[in-house]
Amino acid sequence: MSDPQKRQVDTRVVVETPEGVDFQFIIAGPGTRFQAWLIDSLLKAGLIILTWLLLALMISLLFPNNSYRDFEDSLGAIQGLLIAAYFVLDWFYGSLFEGLMNGQTPGKKSAGLRVVRSNGTPVDLMSATGRNFLRTADMLPMFYLIGAMSMLFTRRLQRLGDLFFDTMVIDERREWIARRAGLTKDIEPIVRSECPRRFHVPERSLSVIERLFENDRIISDARREEIAKPLSEALRKRLGYQDPPPDPRNPHTYFSGQGLKHTKFLLRILKTFSTDLPAEKEQPRKGRKRSRKADRMTAADVTGAST
Amino acid sequence: MNRERFIKERRQDWQRFESLALKFQKTRQRNWSGAEVAELSRLYRSICYDLSLVQSREWGARLEQYLNDLVAQGHNCLYRTAPKSLSGIWTFFSIGFPSLLRQRYKAFWLAFALFTVPFIVSTFVAMLRPDLADMVAGEDELKAAVEMYSKDLYEQVDASYVKQRSGMFGFYIGNNTGIAFKAYAAGALAGIGTCFVLLSNGISIGMVQGGILAAGEPATTNFTSFVITHGAFELTAIVIAGAAGFVLAQGIVMPGNRTRIDALRFQGLESLKLALGAGLMLFIAAMIEGYFSPLAISPSFKYIIGTICWIAVILYFTMAGRERTTS
Repeated sequence: MSDPQKRQVDTRVVVETPEGVDFQFIIAGPGTRFQAWLIDSLLKAGLIILTWLLLALMISLLFPNNSYRDFEDSLGAIQGLLIAAYFVLDWFYGSLFEGLMNGQTPGKKSAGLRVVRSNGTPVDLMSATGRNFLRTADMLPMFYLIGAMSMLFTRRLQRLGDLFFDTMVIDERREWIARRAGLTKDIEPIVRSECPRRFHVPERSLSVIERLFENDRIISDARREEIAKPLSEALRKRLGYQDPPPDPRNPHTYFSGQGLKHTKFLLRILKTFSTDLPAEKEQPRKGRKRSRKADRMTAADVTGAST
Repeated sequence: MNRERFIKERRQDWQRFESLALKFQKTRQRNWSGAEVAELSRLYRSICYDLSLVQSREWGARLEQYLNDLVAQGHNCLYRTAPKSLSGIWTFFSIGFPSLLRQRYKAFWLAFALFTVPFIVSTFVAMLRPDLADMVAGEDELKAAVEMYSKDLYEQVDASYVKQRSGMFGFYIGNNTGIAFKAYAAGALAGIGTCFVLLSNGISIGMVQGGILAAGEPATTNFTSFVITHGAFELTAIVIAGAAGFVLAQGIVMPGNRTRIDALRFQGLESLKLALGAGLMLFIAAMIEGYFSPLAISPSFKYIIGTICWIAVILYFTMAGRERTTS
């Protein structure tokens, strides 16, 4: 934990609060940011069309006897007002949303992103305005090329606007995945009588198991089984747990269960020994809304524990 | 203290904190009572202590994660930027904006030179060599502009134009402010973009002006009386936006005593203030250009108002906010 910069192997950034506590943020990648940008752009286009329709409606109500001359005049007025509306959307859409809605435009919200200052505090209106003004520079020469280059060379994946105004875009979607509801839902707990030696699993092992079942890891079931095997075997030895022998009347279920037996065993462990913290009751209902900070263990913790 | 006892003893505080934090996130600031804020900050500190205890004793990542999440919520509630008030905006425009511009006079004069020199040169070029003006500004556009201003004053401001004023106002806002903001934002590319925007606008505006002035009498008076009032705000604002771009560029090119990243942050905020000030000036300019400048009144009246505006703008930037700094 001492030198977060050297440990950096992924897009996590550690921020220390004035109380001396470390947080982890997951920095949003260009793909998610593009997704948010796309939604925002569509929304902006929709808003422009809406303004256009409203203006046209207004004008048609103002000039009921639509002579050609009136029509021509109002066309000019519509054009001007549309340009003004486009200007406001173009320069202030992101600024106002991010500044007033705690760092989230509708697009960012739907993509699970948020703009925060690089010390982790909420973004203020000035910084939000500034980073969105500099979007114009980041867009040059085309397709956000300069912004993409800047993101490539900065640890927090910041484009120029982020660098100048000390902000970063974080990805909030992945918190609580480890404890997502339903992970151990249909698993039957281990009964005391199955473990002749001991009936306790240390917290550290449990967290390693959770880590294994996180959603953002692209792992096939077979590979997970392979990784689960040493841990499962160690735990079996510790608890004195033995697989029940095949049911002589229906041996088929025994053999079909063999394939992922270590994975299944670890899930059962998780189900049985997870202490109920106050958090447990709240998780499934409130999901990611409960908090905006992403916080998880690092890969180093896992490997350190399992070796 | 062992883990189970710790959880049992502290759990109540955690749950209380959780419900408080939830309330703080959902309700507005004015609905919070002082006692609640005090309680939240007390609980927050104690939970920070719990968290570091759990971290140091390795009492499990699940517990740690839970507490860390609580701390994150508290951090969100407690650490916010001070809300901006309207009086802050007023002091900014009465004191901050002009004195900030005086502070960054080098950037201002650089932008001024890059805009004014090509503007004046191309005006004279266009007056002396109309063929060149046609080439640079576009023959048709120039002809249309000259024609527009050559009409008799009262004819130019005909009925259809009056109805279109709001449209033109919108156009001026979108177009002019857009150019100014682009000049500013392009400063992030080490100032090169700002140079480009200032030079190209100086040249094209100068060329059109030269072409119209060369066209002779009705056009000359019509044009000058049309332009003089809002020009006080518009041209100044474009130069200020350019200056803001150069302030931005200074963070990249000349960070000075700061580290480069600190320089970027410092210059970023300073320059944004200038750019927003320029934006407000352009809004004023667009109002004048849309509703006052095309009025069918005698040119001499417009000259008087225009001169007053120029003097006001110059006085504002040289004098406003000085008292505070000297006393």
